[in-house]
Amino acid sequence: MSDIAAGEVGTRMLLLGNEAIARGAIEAGVRVAAAYPGTPSSEIMETLIEASKELGFDARWCVNEKVAFEAAAGASLTGVRSFASMKNAGLNVCMDLWMSLPYGGVRGGLVVVVADDPAPLYSSAAQDCRVGARWAHVPCLEPESQQEAKDMVKAAFAMSERLELPVMVRSVARLSHSVGVVEFGRIEPSDMVQGFNKHWKLAFRWAIYGPPAGGSSRVREMLHQQHPHAEFPGFGNSGWKQAWLVARQPDVVKEAEASPFEELQRGREPIAIVASGFGACYAREAIRDLELGERVWFCKVGMVHPLPQRTLMPVLRNCKRILVIEDGEPFVEPQLRELAQNEGLDVEISGKQFDALIAPHGELDVDLVRRAIARHCGIQVAVDQERQQIKAELAGLVTPRSSTLCAGCPHLGTYWALREAMKLGRKYVPIVNVEIGCYEQAEYGQQPYPEPSDAPTQRYRSDVLYNFADTCYVMGSATSMALGQERAGYKDGEIVVIAGDSSFYHTCMPALVDAVWNGTRLTMIVVDNSWTAMTGHQPCPVTGIDALGEPATVVPIDRVAKAMGAGLVEVASAYDVKEAEVAIRKALDFDGVAVVVLRGECKLQELRRVPKETVMKVDEELCTGCRQCVHLGCPAVTFADKKAGIDPLLCVGCGLCVQVCPVEAIARENS
Amino acid sequence: MDKKEVTNVILTGVGGQGSILASHLLAEAALKDGHDVKLAETYGGATRGGAVLSHVRIGQAWSPRTPEDQADVIVAMEPLEGLRRAIQFLRPGGWVLLNTHPWYPVDVSAGGMEYPAIDSIVEAIQRLGGRVLSFDASSLALEAGSSRSANVAMLGGLFALGKVDVTEGSLFQAIEERWSARLVEINRKAYKLGHDHVSEKTRQG
Repeated sequence: MSDIAAGEVGTRMLLLGNEAIARGAIEAGVRVAAAYPGTPSSEIMETLIEASKELGFDARWCVNEKVAFEAAAGASLTGVRSFASMKNAGLNVCMDLWMSLPYGGVRGGLVVVVADDPAPLYSSAAQDCRVGARWAHVPCLEPESQQEAKDMVKAAFAMSERLELPVMVRSVARLSHSVGVVEFGRIEPSDMVQGFNKHWKLAFRWAIYGPPAGGSSRVREMLHQQHPHAEFPGFGNSGWKQAWLVARQPDVVKEAEASPFEELQRGREPIAIVASGFGACYAREAIRDLELGERVWFCKVGMVHPLPQRTLMPVLRNCKRILVIEDGEPFVEPQLRELAQNEGLDVEISGKQFDALIAPHGELDVDLVRRAIARHCGIQVAVDQERQQIKAELAGLVTPRSSTLCAGCPHLGTYWALREAMKLGRKYVPIVNVEIGCYEQAEYGQQPYPEPSDAPTQRYRSDVLYNFADTCYVMGSATSMALGQERAGYKDGEIVVIAGDSSFYHTCMPALVDAVWNGTRLTMIVVDNSWTAMTGHQPCPVTGIDALGEPATVVPIDRVAKAMGAGLVEVASAYDVKEAEVAIRKALDFDGVAVVVLRGECKLQELRRVPKETVMKVDEELCTGCRQCVHLGCPAVTFADKKAGIDPLLCVGCGLCVQVCPVEAIARENS
Repeated sequence: MDKKEVTNVILTGVGGQGSILASHLLAEAALKDGHDVKLAETYGGATRGGAVLSHVRIGQAWSPRTPEDQADVIVAMEPLEGLRRAIQFLRPGGWVLLNTHPWYPVDVSAGGMEYPAIDSIVEAIQRLGGRVLSFDASSLALEAGSSRSANVAMLGGLFALGKVDVTEGSLFQAIEERWSARLVEINRKAYKLGHDHVSEKTRQG
């Protein structure tokens, strides 16, 4: 049995933040857990899936976050504890139900963990999802450590049941991906009985447009009690359920007031540091390093929406100057100002919003927080100018290490074939739109970078695949944006979409149907490597197994594309660059919706089953130094003294370089 | 400031070399010895070939990442990565254990960039006030039976330096909990080779 599932009360283990989150859900007796992989959140569901094999609850990967969250919500309506985890962008995919579900609330505890990425290290945007909790009028907890992450997730299930509302727990990348000591607690499942009651406590509870939630008089009565001076107009449609949600808010505030995750230390001087969630760990360390422990007030905020006034009001009343430390947007900071204003308190609040004592972008770290606290407290911190000077000089020695695809990656073959197919095009400036996945490395660029220009259309010649992609934003956007480029009548070059297998099922399909229905030309290349590779090789609908590793139905992309009405569907191997090139050229020439599925399993996964047998070798006599193999972009290909070479340690023997060499100088080494 | 409250070790290398795994072994061993531990993993989008960095903080620390100029030891599986992190994190007087086997970035092998000479890397670290101990851990690993055990050979070197208050017994326990008997044997050998090599070098001064 996995240690995290089996761990007895009192066990102390080193856990990743994401593993601690999973343990919290296990201790709460979670029954249904669902997610779509997304860095930095993926290990949460990986841990739950592993534990579910022993503990028998339902944990699985879904095709996207919307399906995962909505499935968890559906489970909650039947009275079981349910859980969904996602990266920041994942919440956007769930946004529709996220905003509406709180209108009628939930029955079994429903906890949503969002792993934010304030740097951002692994995400398109640094969006702060705590804002989403406030927008939806649901509580948000923010842990400081792995231990607290575990404890908060567990507590969030019980809170969700008391409030009959979903609860958000917000992690950040550095917490999710760092390890700390966690002491295990008891497994305490809900005593709620599973069942379904369409009028549970309120009439037509689970139908958002259903008749007034619980009958108009009951909700009206609740509202009048809470807001004796307010007038309540007639409510239309879901407005009654919105009124119910508004009426729940005083209970949400009570939860904040009773939150066990708050801390207040008084100081000698009227200066305070208020830190939320993971920001508190940096603040504690900085306060120790600056020896400020006795001098300043320190307040750690665990529940960030709504704010617990029990710990914050003494700070606002006793301090003249407050610095707010938080990862992400100013979120606690403006709420604190609201509180101060409401109480008529004259207190100076610093942070990210107005004085930018902390930069409003990027993530926190100890050094940045220490400098901000020192400034806030009027402490001069000596800077060793000479050392800074030495560092600046030495930085020139440090060669960059650009990100690449792996040696032998099937996407190397795809991009080579695409480049060759487009060379034959008559047009001038193509637009290569890429979705999200390993293949997005084609937009990372390789130094030296080209000089930007003001020209409306300009061709940038580059032989390196890492400069090859033109647009890349979020899951599913490349396909839809390509439709817009066609509809705008862009004529200067080919318009192409590159999508991964998992992306195809995540959010590309609606745009594909849209193209078929509206008769818009579309050239879509689906790179099918059998896995959701970039996030750590989770299975997806083309893999043939489910999350538990059991055989599952394969949903083949070519057949789906045909059924959706694509006029041309081609299947080729990404490891046969000629075959792939021919298929892509056919698609480029096709006047309609064309889908090319390029197959080739992720090499890392293949090598886990079948160890490599041979590697490639360059015959230096035959090599003309033309660099074609270098342009393939494989990290195993080297180039020195005007000759190509193959690093035998990195080479996996895929043979792509053999195919691209024009003089047959590369061959399989006899072993 | 009493910095002895915490010992900061940074392990760095290139994705696929096992530096993250080595950091987990070290952290697990420290926990077995009763220390509080924090460990932070940082990596880019690439599964293989990208710059990888992990922090192990033993003792009383809250942030899992080491502040600037406060690393007591940097264990570098790859020389260029050792330099990159020394500039960022090395404490004046701190140690850098350098595996001399380079892993060239694509910017060098396919682009036009230069890889710095090992001597200039060592010299640069010394200019930062660092003490360098370089050895070919990759070859020692091959000698032990697997190129993949270079990370444990580096841990052997780290323990020989004696800058980390963690016992060998706990490290071996962590190794045994992770691998099969055959791999444990290879890794024990790699550990010993790394340990002996660094002990010998430090004796010579």
